[in-house]
Amino acid sequence: MDNTDKKRILISPVTRIEGHAKITIQLNDNGKVENALFHVNEFRGFEKFCEGRMYTEMPIITPRICGICPISHSIASVKACEMIQGIQPTYTGNLLRRLIHLGQNISSHALSFFHLSAPDFLLGYDSDPAVRNILGLAASHKEIAVGGIRLRKFGQEISERITGKKIHISGIAPGGMAYPLTEENRLALLAWIPEALHTVQMGIEIIKKFQEENEEMIASFATSPTLYLGMVGKHGEHEIYDGNLRFIDADGTILQDQLNPAKYLDFIAERSVEWSYLKYPYYKPLGFEKGIYRVGPLARLNVASAMKTPKAQAEFEAFKKINNGKPVHGTFYYHYARLIETLSSVEEAEIILNDSEITSNKIQTHGRWNNSEGIGCSEAPRGTLFHHYITDETGKLTKVNLLIATGQNNPSMNRSITDVAKQYINGNNIQEGMLNRVESAIRCYDPCLSCSTHAMGQMPLVIEFINSEGALINTIERL
Amino acid sequence: MNTIKITINDTVYDIAINTTILEACKEVGIEVLTICHLEGVSNVGACRLCLVEVEGINKLLPACTTKVAANMVIRTQTEKIKKYQRITTELFFAERNHVCSVCVANGKCELQKLGYKVGMDHIRYPYLFPSCEVDTSHAWFVLDHNRCIMCTRCVRTCAEIEGAFNWDVMNRGNQVRIISDFNTPWGQSTTCTSCGKCLHACPTGAIWPKAIVQGQLEKKPEILKELVEKRKMNL
Ligand code: SF4
Ligand code: SF4
Ligand code: FES
Repeated sequence: MDNTDKKRILISPVTRIEGHAKITIQLNDNGKVENALFHVNEFRGFEKFCEGRMYTEMPIITPRICGICPISHSIASVKACEMIQGIQPTYTGNLLRRLIHLGQNISSHALSFFHLSAPDFLLGYDSDPAVRNILGLAASHKEIAVGGIRLRKFGQEISERITGKKIHISGIAPGGMAYPLTEENRLALLAWIPEALHTVQMGIEIIKKFQEENEEMIASFATSPTLYLGMVGKHGEHEIYDGNLRFIDADGTILQDQLNPAKYLDFIAERSVEWSYLKYPYYKPLGFEKGIYRVGPLARLNVASAMKTPKAQAEFEAFKKINNGKPVHGTFYYHYARLIETLSSVEEAEIILNDSEITSNKIQTHGRWNNSEGIGCSEAPRGTLFHHYITDETGKLTKVNLLIATGQNNPSMNRSITDVAKQYINGNNIQEGMLNRVESAIRCYDPCLSCSTHAMGQMPLVIEFINSEGALINTIERL
Repeated sequence: MNTIKITINDTVYDIAINTTILEACKEVGIEVLTICHLEGVSNVGACRLCLVEVEGINKLLPACTTKVAANMVIRTQTEKIKKYQRITTELFFAERNHVCSVCVANGKCELQKLGYKVGMDHIRYPYLFPSCEVDTSHAWFVLDHNRCIMCTRCVRTCAEIEGAFNWDVMNRGNQVRIISDFNTPWGQSTTCTSCGKCLHACPTGAIWPKAIVQGQLEKKPEILKELVEKRKMNL
């Protein structure tokens, strides 16, 4: 294809996603969108600089990759360590880890929905960017904004009450947990449940109403079908902490089920691409083009046969009706899926907090290096996460492979942005609301690109028009 | 007991002869910053944190290795001393690779506490970022040279308390390193008894047990002094 006369529009940085990113939209000479690429340029060489360290340091080093899903990294990491040691966590240690992981899921989803996305739904995509954020929301929809902020706090308080810290916690250890939960803290956490349930249900009302009122937009919003990967329990139920994996195709047919995550290299292959530091993973049996799959809340709900808790199950049934029992492809439904997961996380947290063993002091088993390879997997808020370590016989890491959710979603994210851009952008004449929709296609995936968390729409948006020779021909800045 | 009169920070005290300035300060409740000093082993004056001003002497003297003398006038809290303490602490951090957030000793580290104490909010010297070995060869312990500050507390503890003489020092300047035996991996040492005393002696996250993660490190340097005293009692 001839490149002359093509223009490139650069949107950078995307506001209100966690991290710093840039989008290039390639226009052809008719001003039509040809292609869109989402650049990820901040995956910070973690794998390389972990090499040479002790494997037991990984549960503390790897959470630093991300400030929003640090616990999923810790969990995947301790599981890899447990495989190296050949040990199992205690019942209570495992339960505490599960509880902390649910807490992170609640706070991360609350951040994504109430802080980052709800302003779009309640104030409108085309409203003034200066108020289209959680503070603007607080001024016009106080109960929702405050509820969202408090829901996030509840999630963080779970970690805090177990480990003493909200974000970069310590104590998730091979063999279980380093700290127990006291009865006082158990009761304090239980007291949050009714309010948390109420807030999530409020969020569900908002999204359902928005979905009803914007059926047309949603139906045409980044709906490319893909495969899906997610964790499931023994009976195919929704699972985010510990389970096996299931791949389904775009029609919902199960391609492979109850896959052992430790065998991930049998079913996932990775390929590097020149425009991004993220690797492009794909479902191995189908090859690079056909094997694009998605992970995350939407994927987990698409692969699951049922939810584990009653309220979430009722919502899940409504979700399943969207596409008559088939997978829901519309990227927009990530939001709904996220809220259903938040609901199930709050319900499951309540069940765990009522477990008679949760305050037991039998929290950790102990082991030492026994195997040179360890693989751990967990479902981070944004999707399936793999940690793979290889060590020498003293426990020193010789190779580290981390497969993160945003990486797995990257191929399909590009597809979604291209879809949206094609629909909304036409030539140089770009308006605020249209660009927001490109951004918002990305925001659906809630990508994490580094550990900086920009909960507020403070970052200026710069749009650059670059012609085929790379010369800047126009710049639009949004403050 | 033979005592002499000395002045510390404008107050006159009676102090036993043969006492170090550091011991004298401790006795009268004056805090002096230290890190290479460890109760139970000899002093070597390596870290220079305990520097004090002594009237009539135009250089700063290490409190841990300087004995008191009659009518000495000592100052421990001058601006000059504070300035040097801050410089010394910053240089510890700049010389090797300290990333407290992922360090096993985070929250339990004497160097980190020192940083807080001297008000170190940033480091004015360029980091050297040396490439340092992590010796994981011992079955139970790790020696991470990235976090070693060359206080030699491990060396003295191993030699003077355990009597094993596993640890020593090689090279000079910023190439200086702690070595096991004649610079062999710790796990291959023929002298190390795996007693773990050096672990308790080490003020930082340089020596740590493999079995633990951040938050679980317990170093008890005080047990070393207790050991020494218990042995004396048996004699
Ligand atoms: S040894 Fe101390 S100062 Fe150094 S990284 Fe560890 S905690 Fe920080
Ligand atoms: S290993 Fe620890 S005790 Fe030994 S010299 Fe280094 S910092 Fe000091
Ligand atoms: S404590 Fe005196 S020089 Fe280190």
